[in-house]
Amino acid sequence: MVQLIVTPETALADEPICIRATGLNPFQVVTFTASLTDEKGKLFQSRAFYKANEAGNVDLDQAAALGGDYVGVHPMGLFWSLKPVNPFRRLLKQDVMNSPFYIQLDIFDSLLLEDSPKIHPKASQMIERWFSGPGLQRIPVRNGRVRGAFFLPPGEGPFPGVIDLFGGIGGLIEFRASLLASHGFGVLALAYFAYEDLPRSLLEVDLEYFEEAANMLLHHPQIQRSGIGVISVCKGAEIGLAMAIHLEQVAATICINGTNAVHETPCKYRDLVISPIPHQKEYTQIHVSGALNFRRIKGDPRDEVNQQSVLPVEKARGHILFIVGEKDECLNSKAYAEQAMEQLKSHGRSNGTLLSYPGAGHLIEPPYSPLCFASWNPFLSRPFLWGGDIRSHAAAQEHSWREIQKFLRCHLAPSRSKL
Amino acid sequence: RELTLNLSLRIIQIRVTGLLPSQLIMLQASLTDERGELFQSQVFYKADENGEVDLEHAGALGGDYVGIHPMGLFWSMKPKKMLSRLLKRDVINSPFLVHLSVYDITKPFSSSPDSLMASETVERWYSTPGVQRIQLKEGRVRGALFLPPGDGPFPGVIDLFGGIGGLVEFRASLLASHGFATLALAYFAYDDLPKNLDVIDIEYFEEAADILLRHPKVLGPSIGIVSVSRGAQIGMAMATFLKQVAATVCINGVFLAEQVVIKYRNEKFFSFSQHLERLRINELGLLAFYSAVGNPQEEANKHGLLPVERAEGHILFIVGEKDYSVNSKIHAEQVMEQLRRHGKNNATLLSYPGAGHLIEPPYSPLCVASMNPFIPRPVLWGGETIPHAEAQEHSWKEILKPSYSEVLHFSPVSPG
Repeated sequence: MVQLIVTPETALADEPICIRATGLNPFQVVTFTASLTDEKGKLFQSRAFYKANEAGNVDLDQAAALGGDYVGVHPMGLFWSLKPVNPFRRLLKQDVMNSPFYIQLDIFDSLLLEDSPKIHPKASQMIERWFSGPGLQRIPVRNGRVRGAFFLPPGEGPFPGVIDLFGGIGGLIEFRASLLASHGFGVLALAYFAYEDLPRSLLEVDLEYFEEAANMLLHHPQIQRSGIGVISVCKGAEIGLAMAIHLEQVAATICINGTNAVHETPCKYRDLVISPIPHQKEYTQIHVSGALNFRRIKGDPRDEVNQQSVLPVEKARGHILFIVGEKDECLNSKAYAEQAMEQLKSHGRSNGTLLSYPGAGHLIEPPYSPLCFASWNPFLSRPFLWGGDIRSHAAAQEHSWREIQKFLRCHLAPSRSKL
Repeated sequence: RELTLNLSLRIIQIRVTGLLPSQLIMLQASLTDERGELFQSQVFYKADENGEVDLEHAGALGGDYVGIHPMGLFWSMKPKKMLSRLLKRDVINSPFLVHLSVYDITKPFSSSPDSLMASETVERWYSTPGVQRIQLKEGRVRGALFLPPGDGPFPGVIDLFGGIGGLVEFRASLLASHGFATLALAYFAYDDLPKNLDVIDIEYFEEAADILLRHPKVLGPSIGIVSVSRGAQIGMAMATFLKQVAATVCINGVFLAEQVVIKYRNEKFFSFSQHLERLRINELGLLAFYSAVGNPQEEANKHGLLPVERAEGHILFIVGEKDYSVNSKIHAEQVMEQLRRHGKNNATLLSYPGAGHLIEPPYSPLCVASMNPFIPRPVLWGGETIPHAEAQEHSWKEILKPSYSEVLHFSPVSPG
């Protein structure tokens, strides 16, 4: 009798699990599939073809996939290679507290390219992937101008405080904040446009809004007083870098695939206004899939005419971790991060670290998140290209998530005096 | 503005005048195919100091291609509905109508409507006036014969397409427009032919070759073959077994009898070398077959190898290095090696970096993936837009080269 053994069946979405099949015929070719229906009813699937060993077993910790959505030994491959059945949909958990993603794992005793109502799996297992750990609290935030959701771990604390910023699609994205909080951080998922009563579109970045959020976080009774961290991606990372420079409350900043200058929207803080490098959309390229590649629309921060838009990273007091995907098709993140590192060096600063991942794309997320290569964008009529090679992207996500937590624990340690 | 008649192979000149210096414009080409599917390309240019954009000299800044590409608007068109393939069905009576438009662009890809400044319509035909199409239904043979205008006689060519089956005629009609009497030959999923391709019986193709050679307007004693994909496998087999074949063009073929038995008279070739478990699915869910097809160098596949050293005519291999459906390079190289080992040097290999599987006549848009009626998921053909377009232009010239036709003992009539 064929059995599919999965341990654990319920876990945090960033935790690996063990998948094993037994009771097969020796050397039989089998298909493993994973299926997930997201909160909007959209189906995501992955499949891989394996050959059972002489004992009729397949252990994904040891066996190499021969083909399908990935090849080689990848115990979590079925998760990070999930693809939408209708292309260009992005997998994004909305409700991070009350429900998990339910993933059905199936094993078929033949090569199955497509689902068929006539062919049934030999064994199935439903598993749960949660974006919040037990005891985690979610507190909606509507304080002053600040809008977002605050995630507090169980226990007394005090916990290191972190602000989580996403990018140009706006709204409020919570899944990374809730996962990070499940690892012992007090995390504020902060919205800054296209959410509730915030501006509908991003016309300017007012750092005083982010300072209000930082102070709010620091004054929470269960948050450490010594300084906060920022984890940010894309446009959020441009803002994160500006926060690191101008806000003394920020002790540690993670910039994922961001820029080292102000682009498209002016950035202001009190009396200071930084004018942006305008986007030049005529340099948009159209990928073979029809998706838009914006990588070349941002001007070069090294051009004479753009100097006043470059962020003075050498003024940041805390530590900065730049995380870069070399196959980022949204922007040339590697060049921007390298320029920032160079700028630190030329000013005798050593508070920057660069982690550059070959093959990783723009949307570097917590581990086992499927690669979103391109997706529909609410502001564009065509899909938007993010880039990335599936396997390298998955490896980058696993490695960077560990580094992110290490970095935050190191630089937000309570023993450190206020910077 | 008047309509301009053009064979789809002709280069057309596009120039925009009357703009402001450095004005940003968008050029767009649109085509609706015979099924009502829309294909479009969009490119951004900046006018020069004279307020002109001449595609012979101006470099596109962005859009469906970048750089100087006078015919780029044609070969960079993409289907609005993903996975559609542009394929002209009626090659005699109607052209593709391509609408070229110029838009004033202040903000590319913004939600505000762009303002149309000028437009033109261009006709792209797949046959020159005077090319005749004759439906062929003789013996077992099914297809369409395209005769150039005039009395002839003309060198004869058999044109073979691939695994989509049916009858694809547009390349045959273009070859006829270049002076070749071309038989677009169907071999499965057409008329009363078998629905599936299980056996490739070269005697069927021999029958077709003999019918072609018997035609009063076809110059003998031998014919040429232009073949792609599964058709190229057949073309290679024809070159191997049939004395009537003097010149064969094989585009991105697999020359191993895998999946299907190849037979000729009392000889059979087959090796069970297909490994479907090695199929790969790419980041957009498209199916790449190349690793599932057996490697011709493997010992296990030797019974599937064709005795290519028996081929007496010349063979031209055309290979796209970014072909994701078959590893055409290793298959072509294996045949070249086998010929060399037998002391023959009657083959040439043209290998194009960046080109995909569907290498077609010039200015055909790159089809990077499409649905195949026999396969449940969309198939990834591969290719990068600009190198693929260049490969199409270069390889077509090679196919038509006088030295090739000389092998057929005739020089082609130039198109009208």
